[in-house]
Amino acid sequence: MIPPPLQRAGLWRAASLGLWAVVLIYSSVDGRLDLLLRAVFHPLVALAGLLLLAVALLQLHLAFGPGRQERGDRRQARTLLLTAAIALLVLLLPPAPSFADLAGQRPRDETAESELSFVLPPAQRSLTDWVRLLRSQPDPQLFAGDPVRISGFVLPMEGEPPQLARLLVRCCLADASPVGLPVRWPAGAAPFPADQWLAIEGVMDLRPAPGGGERLEVIPSRLRPIPRPARPLEP
Amino acid sequence: MILTRLATAWALFQGLLIEALPFLLIGVLISAGARWFAPGGRWLRRLPSHPLLGPLTGAALGFALPACECGNVPVARRLLSGGAPLGAGLGFLFAAPVLNPIVIASTWAAFPDQPWLLLARPLGAVLVAVALALLLGLVPEPQLLQADLLAERRLHQPLAAVGLLERSSGLVGTPPPTALSAETAPARPPLAELIKHASQEFLQLALLLVMGSVIAALVQSFVPRSWLLAVGGAPTLSILALMLLALVVSVCSSVDAFLALSFAAQVTPGALLAFLLLGPVIDLKLVSLLGLLFRPRGLVLTTAGAGLMVLLIGQWVNLWRL
Repeated sequence: MIPPPLQRAGLWRAASLGLWAVVLIYSSVDGRLDLLLRAVFHPLVALAGLLLLAVALLQLHLAFGPGRQERGDRRQARTLLLTAAIALLVLLLPPAPSFADLAGQRPRDETAESELSFVLPPAQRSLTDWVRLLRSQPDPQLFAGDPVRISGFVLPMEGEPPQLARLLVRCCLADASPVGLPVRWPAGAAPFPADQWLAIEGVMDLRPAPGGGERLEVIPSRLRPIPRPARPLEP
Repeated sequence: MILTRLATAWALFQGLLIEALPFLLIGVLISAGARWFAPGGRWLRRLPSHPLLGPLTGAALGFALPACECGNVPVARRLLSGGAPLGAGLGFLFAAPVLNPIVIASTWAAFPDQPWLLLARPLGAVLVAVALALLLGLVPEPQLLQADLLAERRLHQPLAAVGLLERSSGLVGTPPPTALSAETAPARPPLAELIKHASQEFLQLALLLVMGSVIAALVQSFVPRSWLLAVGGAPTLSILALMLLALVVSVCSSVDAFLALSFAAQVTPGALLAFLLLGPVIDLKLVSLLGLLFRPRGLVLTTAGAGLMVLLIGQWVNLWRL
């Protein structure tokens, strides 16, 4: 589809830039960045949005100046219309990723932990803290009986019961890698659907692992569904 | 199921896009700043055109203009359209995304216990950039560069450097003027012109970035990543697998070291370096951005040349470290 040449191309340019500025600014206030990017990048996005808004306003000012009769050629027209349409689409359709689906596609995070310099008391450790701790200290005996208070989403596993998981993100969702803890789900209860967020209180205990040997599992004493937290991604 | 997958791909797309847009804007603003402060860009034409010194100088410019690879494209385009020697422009395009303070610092932050990487990454990037500049230098410019970039570039090149058929003015039989009307200093572009140019450039690049991010997001959601990492331990296969991963993941060079950290323990050192070298030069998101500079032939040569160089470097590192 080739649109006809544009009248008042300057105005269109200002509109398209303005839409992109709104995308960046609006994303940084409506909480969507918490789903997409690591927190350190959030100010950068907001700043870029403000800068872009300034350029758009300058462009708007120019569009009413002496060059207002500027006509854009067909290629320019296509770029302007398409970028404006995409910006609108991004604005109107917020992201709604399935963490379980994403995690199912990715290999586990296997970051080699060096010695942890600081270890929180058991009941204050997040799911990610637990995973890191267990990785740096491979003797599971040390933690059997420790109290656990964690939250995460239900991640279905192949060939074993679902785990409670979190996504680690270094930059943006594209590099998310999952970490998870095995949970001994209460017998007889209906299984939770994938992606359901849960808060679990309980203890760590040694149980036979599916592949042989023993591993630590979370034995829940209290288990309740929660809404997705405002900041679901962990660094 | 497919709807869930598509919703996840849509979120991945937004993540890639929103993360890259600020860097793209920085690049466009640097390029506009260069037009404002050095109108006509005469310093560009003074960059060395020596086949080796050119790319090295271009690469060194990375220290002065810190931007990751998305922001690099508009700046490199500005260098080339301003008449900089091809080698210098390409050296900047390919090496600057690694050779800048931000990227080196983040590599160090991610791998403090692997000092060899801190040296090998910039060195490898320079090697790849020089090799690519030499390779692409073999292709005549009209077959390498996009038509409108070429036209802008011709305006800034001395007529003597351009063949008679390639310029659109001049008389047959008269010797070409030796320099580009060197006496008249080019006027600073009016502010209106500058803003219009920068806005148009940003939107054009944003459109290309959107296309690249769509492809990267779709490939990432429909090709399980474990396929790529399954071959982690085998020397050559692991390099190839991580090169493919670098192509697919398309994260900026300023953060890719942190991503590499998550699988560094599973793969060979050569593969790790290959991932850190190839991503900044070419990936799915960048291919469409580079389309603003190169004709398809240039893109194919860049991909093939970079792939081969990175594979060789990775192999060599594996021989040395394994």
